[in-house]
Amino acid sequence: MAKYYDVIIAGAGPAGSMAALKLARAGLNVCLVERGKYPGAKNMFGGLLHNTPVLNEMLPGFRERAPVERHVYKKVLAFMTPESAVSLTFENERFEQPPYNGYTVFRPVFDSWLADEAVKEGALLLTDCTAEDLLRKDGRIAGITVNGREGKLRGNIVIAADGVLSFMAEKAGLRKNFKPKSMGVGIKLLLGLPEETINERFHLVRDEGADISFVGTTGGIRGGSFLYTNRESISVGMVVHLDSLKASGKAPYEVMDELLQHPQVRKLVKGAVPLEYSAHLIPEGGIRAMPKVYTDGMMVAGDAAGLCYTNGINLEGINLAMTSGVLAAETAIKAIEAGDYSARSLSLYKKKLDESFIIKDMKTFKNAAGMMHSDRLFQTYPRVLAGIMEKLYRVEGTPRSKLLRLARKEAMKEVGLKGLVADGIKIGRALL
Amino acid sequence: MNIENLQQLTQFQIDEQPHIVVDKEICKTCDHRACVQSCPANCYTWDEETRLLSIVYETCLECGTCYVICDKGALDWNYPRGGYGVCYRLT
Repeated sequence: MAKYYDVIIAGAGPAGSMAALKLARAGLNVCLVERGKYPGAKNMFGGLLHNTPVLNEMLPGFRERAPVERHVYKKVLAFMTPESAVSLTFENERFEQPPYNGYTVFRPVFDSWLADEAVKEGALLLTDCTAEDLLRKDGRIAGITVNGREGKLRGNIVIAADGVLSFMAEKAGLRKNFKPKSMGVGIKLLLGLPEETINERFHLVRDEGADISFVGTTGGIRGGSFLYTNRESISVGMVVHLDSLKASGKAPYEVMDELLQHPQVRKLVKGAVPLEYSAHLIPEGGIRAMPKVYTDGMMVAGDAAGLCYTNGINLEGINLAMTSGVLAAETAIKAIEAGDYSARSLSLYKKKLDESFIIKDMKTFKNAAGMMHSDRLFQTYPRVLAGIMEKLYRVEGTPRSKLLRLARKEAMKEVGLKGLVADGIKIGRALL
Repeated sequence: MNIENLQQLTQFQIDEQPHIVVDKEICKTCDHRACVQSCPANCYTWDEETRLLSIVYETCLECGTCYVICDKGALDWNYPRGGYGVCYRLT
């Protein structure tokens, strides 16, 4: 086995495998290193694989061949208080046609499939190997050491796709400490339910899936909860900011229990059988928390590069990861053609990222990370909304107020004028 | 969900060599011990009587929450050796 590679990729997740696929197709000698027993064994997300154009381009007919569960047809945003739910449901027939807007997938299944596509093109996949340290030569990064079957892997370029806690980026001096304020933790319980029950309960047919986001069910901790439908299971979980979790003194699984016990959620999960429990960190610091993404001999992709953003409505990461993997691979191909692995040569990767939707979207929502740190968003406003709805609907033989007056009264009661103005500015700057 | 049943839900390939080592002396002086409450897998326990923090690394989900929230530098936190640790099947 050749111990010298054109490119060594740490991490066979979506970013790493897409990079490997691109590089292998270009005829390069690429080694994909994975610490799990198989790709995806260490990976977890809420459950939604967003539509990713580069995936369709690189793997035509992806939809027919990939192990996806359901395509997402129905989007629900639900504001919750302990006793009520105010939800907005969006169903769209255009989400019923390819290219589908997103799919629910199981990461161990999907990531294995994607890595296998790279292997079919000639990439070497080494599982059971944890990337441990960087090898340097002539002042640049020139390989990695792994803790597992192999020892040292040397090559021209390293792509660090080693996930949210990228020790490779840290060791390369590309990032500082991991900070609680720019991290979220996601926990998830996979619950088994018969396919027909899911279809009836969520009003779905065939391969249709639902994506429900809950606000107000995280026990006062900043974050949100989710429910995704798979074919014969549902994924229920939550994402909370680490600084807020720490301050709350609560245990995440206890907060999730409250969600599962919520009167409206209890009906959705009734009779379901727990299948698997998982947890993972999410880089939620936005563009301001991004590390430097290249240096001499190395590029950083996916979660490792902090490529993820949320604005309260969208939470995107996997599509950014796959796209960044391909952009890193394109850069590596050019660098290898030129025989130049310097930071200057690899800076092309940053340029490509900047020109893509990845950095553009992260810039557009650069203030969203700050907005998502307003505590009131996660408990007070759901309560205001539920208060308004209850007063709108409740009939009790007392004189009514007009809508605006009612809304103003509820908001003033819960938030106060100063808070409303401050939040208005924050939300406006982030989203409008 | 009952976190005590974690091992019946999620698969682990247990290594005899721990991937997280806590400096128990530092933990004695910690003013929050947030790791105990925040760990999604309930791996940490604080014993008030002996004033010792203990960890069950065998059911660690390798999320890194403890590592990121520990501001005392008490954790020597690494990913397990290749092939060991949590092994998700469907999540």
